Amino acid sequence: MTIDPAGLIDDRPEKGVFRVNRAIFREPGIFDLEMRHIFEGGWVFLGLASQAPAPHDFFTTYAGRVPILVTRDGDGELRAFVNSCPHKGAQVAQTRAGNARLHVCPYHSWTFDSAGKNRGLKWQRAGCYAEAFDESDHGLTPLPHFDEYRGFLFGSLVAGVPTLAGHLGGAARFLDFVLGQPDEGLELVPGAVNFTYDANWKLQLENCSDAYHFTSTHPSYIKIMERRQKGEGAAALRSIWEQAPSWREEAEGVQGGSYSFDHGHVLNWGRIASADTHPLHENEEAIAARHGEAGRDWIFNMRNLTIFPNLQIAENASSQLRVIQPLGVGRTLMRTWCIAPRGESVSARRQRIRQYEDFFNPSGMATPDDTVAYESCQRGHASRVDPWLQGYARGITASRKGGNILSEAIGAAPLRSVLADSQLCDETLYHNYYREWARRMAAAA
Amino acid sequence: MGAAHGRRGMTTMLSHSDAEDLLYREAALLDEGAWDEWLSLYTEDALFWMPAWRDETTPTSDPQSELSLIYYEGRRGLEDRVFRVRSDQSVASRPRPRCLHCVSNVRLVESTDSSAEAASAFTVFLHDVRADRTHHFFGRYRHTLRHEEGMWRIARKHILLLNDTIPTVVDFYSI
Repeated sequence: MTIDPAGLIDDRPEKGVFRVNRAIFREPGIFDLEMRHIFEGGWVFLGLASQAPAPHDFFTTYAGRVPILVTRDGDGELRAFVNSCPHKGAQVAQTRAGNARLHVCPYHSWTFDSAGKNRGLKWQRAGCYAEAFDESDHGLTPLPHFDEYRGFLFGSLVAGVPTLAGHLGGAARFLDFVLGQPDEGLELVPGAVNFTYDANWKLQLENCSDAYHFTSTHPSYIKIMERRQKGEGAAALRSIWEQAPSWREEAEGVQGGSYSFDHGHVLNWGRIASADTHPLHENEEAIAARHGEAGRDWIFNMRNLTIFPNLQIAENASSQLRVIQPLGVGRTLMRTWCIAPRGESVSARRQRIRQYEDFFNPSGMATPDDTVAYESCQRGHASRVDPWLQGYARGITASRKGGNILSEAIGAAPLRSVLADSQLCDETLYHNYYREWARRMAAAA
Repeated sequence: MGAAHGRRGMTTMLSHSDAEDLLYREAALLDEGAWDEWLSLYTEDALFWMPAWRDETTPTSDPQSELSLIYYEGRRGLEDRVFRVRSDQSVASRPRPRCLHCVSNVRLVESTDSSAEAASAFTVFLHDVRADRTHHFFGRYRHTLRHEEGMWRIARKHILLLNDTIPTVVDFYSI
């Protein structure tokens, strides 16, 4: 059975209606189209430039289902290739990261340098190859598009996409603010954490932008933070959440909101302000000097940024970089790291790590309550009795075209914006995901 | 070395079989959800540490500058975890998966009057009732034991989880 993706998003702004059909989370045919037209059909996040800092450094990753090799060549230029030997298809780089002037395919020893050029084809002269073979290129296949924005590397497996700057659009302004983007750059704290969950990738996509769930899904975490404040729990682990009003229902006034950008990127945010438990606290003055007062305020806010479809950066109690890697319609791999500014103090790094482990890890006290909820939703999405979900309606009358005073202060130009008190918990930012989803999937129809 | 030297004369030296008993008792208390008894096995200042992995072959080794899966300095961190499991406010914690810890290959690598170190292997079989899904975690333990207030307690537990792609949830009771 083929399903027309266009019929699965009920988007009627003039009527104040936005609904999503459960089928988008459930149907294998939809998943195949998503892989071809979204993950393998346009820009996806590949990694950080700091993962391969020196000549011949490399790391491996995936674009959709396709293995990717990102390598810095001898001249220091970063390049991205399909990590698959043109001979028989084996992966030429075997490890997650390393340093190699030459990559030798383990299957038949075809050899490639760190710029992807073929440097050796075993027993070529004796091979009785036809002229046509000798005249063709035997190097690694470069990605049709590969580019960097402020240390964030993106690639596309297809040609004919916008430039990276065009793809990121206004959302790039918020990549400028990740951890204050110090001169020293950003790095991944050693120790990658990978976990899977048995549900669709879009559950994670949405959850990152979901202000509504926090007090419902994470009351045990909130209670533990309260215990620690009273000196009953692990005393050394004071948390930024103690000093963040934005999720407390009694907080008044504007406590956060959301921005939607072209190509499906979204930001949701909450007020934290500079707190002494914030790992960036020690750099507050330098951050203000670099980004101005308004920029500094943004950097100290809780921010969840999604660069559609696979990159999420959450900055709150700590700072997490997540890569969403769909494995199947009902199975997702999450690759997660603590992202940190290079050169921060030992004590700030320690505080960042401790807050990270408790909140973000699948072995911590918050993320498991999210992922178990995703699996619960996935089982619920079997239902065809009530195919249309009602989770996209909060904030419809609060959503405004363009930005607001807070985005103007930093020269950010979103498509739409919402300013929220602590209980509004905007759901219109998901519209942006699914409008881009529908646009990309339309190419499939 | 070993059992022959246990509790001889006035010393409290831990024998190999004492170490096994303690490790098996901890495993049983975790499987049974006997949280208070489990916590009482730990010293007040106990270190509980499950590192993450730097790369394919090397676990993280400096918890102050590298990420761990779990790291608590002091039993109070474990008390927080027990509080969460009991809170009835964590969907991941209830219904609690059925767990079976199997501890084996126990070696007493160091033993003095007041402290000892035991190395062992573990497998935790886990049945997630809600998802009707069974899997297992396996790895190596290092227990540092200290004789305190008349009994041997755990002063440090290092858990090296070998299969570290986590299927949805891993908690203190399933490793």
